[in-house]
Amino acid sequence: MSLFRKKRLFILLIGIIILVVLIGYSLRDRDKLTIPEQFVNDTVGWVQSIIYTPVNFFTDIFTSIDDIKNTYQENKILKEKLSEYKTLIYEVQELTEENEELRNSIDLTDSIRDFNPIQATVISRSPERWMELVTLNKGSQAGIKKDMAVITADGMIGKIQSTSPYTSTVQLLTGFDQFNRISATISREDGKDIFGLIEEYDEESNSLLFKIIDESDKNLEEDELVVSSGLGGVFPSGLPIGTVKDIIPDQYGLTQTALIEPAADMYDINHVIVVDRSLPGDEDVADDEGDE
Amino acid sequence: MRQVYLSLVIFVILVLEGVALELLPAQTFGDLFIISHWVLVCLIYVAIFYDSEETNFSLFYAFFFGLLVDIVYTNILGVYMFTYAITIYIIKKLTRLFQSNLLSTILFGILGITLTDILIYLIFTVIEITELPWQDYIIYRLLPTILANIVFLTVIYPFITKKLIKWKKSR
Repeated sequence: MSLFRKKRLFILLIGIIILVVLIGYSLRDRDKLTIPEQFVNDTVGWVQSIIYTPVNFFTDIFTSIDDIKNTYQENKILKEKLSEYKTLIYEVQELTEENEELRNSIDLTDSIRDFNPIQATVISRSPERWMELVTLNKGSQAGIKKDMAVITADGMIGKIQSTSPYTSTVQLLTGFDQFNRISATISREDGKDIFGLIEEYDEESNSLLFKIIDESDKNLEEDELVVSSGLGGVFPSGLPIGTVKDIIPDQYGLTQTALIEPAADMYDINHVIVVDRSLPGDEDVADDEGDE
Repeated sequence: MRQVYLSLVIFVILVLEGVALELLPAQTFGDLFIISHWVLVCLIYVAIFYDSEETNFSLFYAFFFGLLVDIVYTNILGVYMFTYAITIYIIKKLTRLFQSNLLSTILFGILGITLTDILIYLIFTVIEITELPWQDYIIYRLLPTILANIVFLTVIYPFITKKLIKWKKSR
């Protein structure tokens, strides 16, 4: 009997050692998933999309019926807005043309604003809610790479955490920790932009922490829009992230932290755009820019 | 052949878990987090109704599907593999002491889900994936999760036990 006990203890210890090794291996900053992992992800993703498509079709029908009820009123409001936009569109067109001309005249064709959109659909969400991950139906074959930004029409929702040939995993903003920083900015007139870093997601206040690195003589106001600045070298600039909800000073009173409410809804995500920045971001260049 | 069917069923449930959460609106429960442990519930059924004392199918399934959950849903290997295996091992040892009926199944279900969820919470706290204080964890996460999964366990009881017992006899 004592032999069995020893054997059992032995197996448990080996199990714990394997657990620690595996966790250590996967927490390392991995560039790529191993090939078996990619294979499993693709297989599961394939089955998920088979199930997802018909079910989504039916749920879509129900939401459409709901939508039809409100159509008349919405239409009225939208028509009013449309007439306002007509003049705006004309103005924007003029400005874009002028901008392009000016850029051409100084031989500056690429901008960190430009990106190639890659359309994708969310096929599943991680059921255990410690890690906020969703799976997309496109992968490295479609040109998706690690660390690209993912947006919806409303704003940014996260970044690509890992890719397989035909699926990819997105880390949502709600799961961001101190290792996933976004360089962001609040746009002001006269070049008085406020720069800072989105540091992590605070679960207590349900908001992102925006740490301002500039000296804080420029007072923040609520409801100001925070957009990505593109200085981190990976994301393009100008992606909306959220609005300022509240401002808290840090414990020494030297810097300020703003609580940012994400612009996009993190729960009802269906179609997303993966943002492939046109201008290649070189790590060194990005560091230099950040220092300035 | 039964093994293939059984693994396929659990695999489909694993896939459904992710898709279901994407299609259902997640914030309808307010502050409460409800985590579905459907794969674990199935593994508990396999341990109680399919395995006899000499066989260890449920343990192998726990290892294999735990690893799959790790790869597909967390990207951190080993966590679910380890916790599922330990939970199923303990439940398998305990099944000798009780008759297999609805009441004992619910008891095992509560035990298994509690054990798994707490173990995962502990591991994720140690590697700093989460910083949730344990009081909040128990009220907002553990209790609703146990309740919801026990409801699921009770609902599928009549369907799954018949099949499993039939498969066990024909083995």
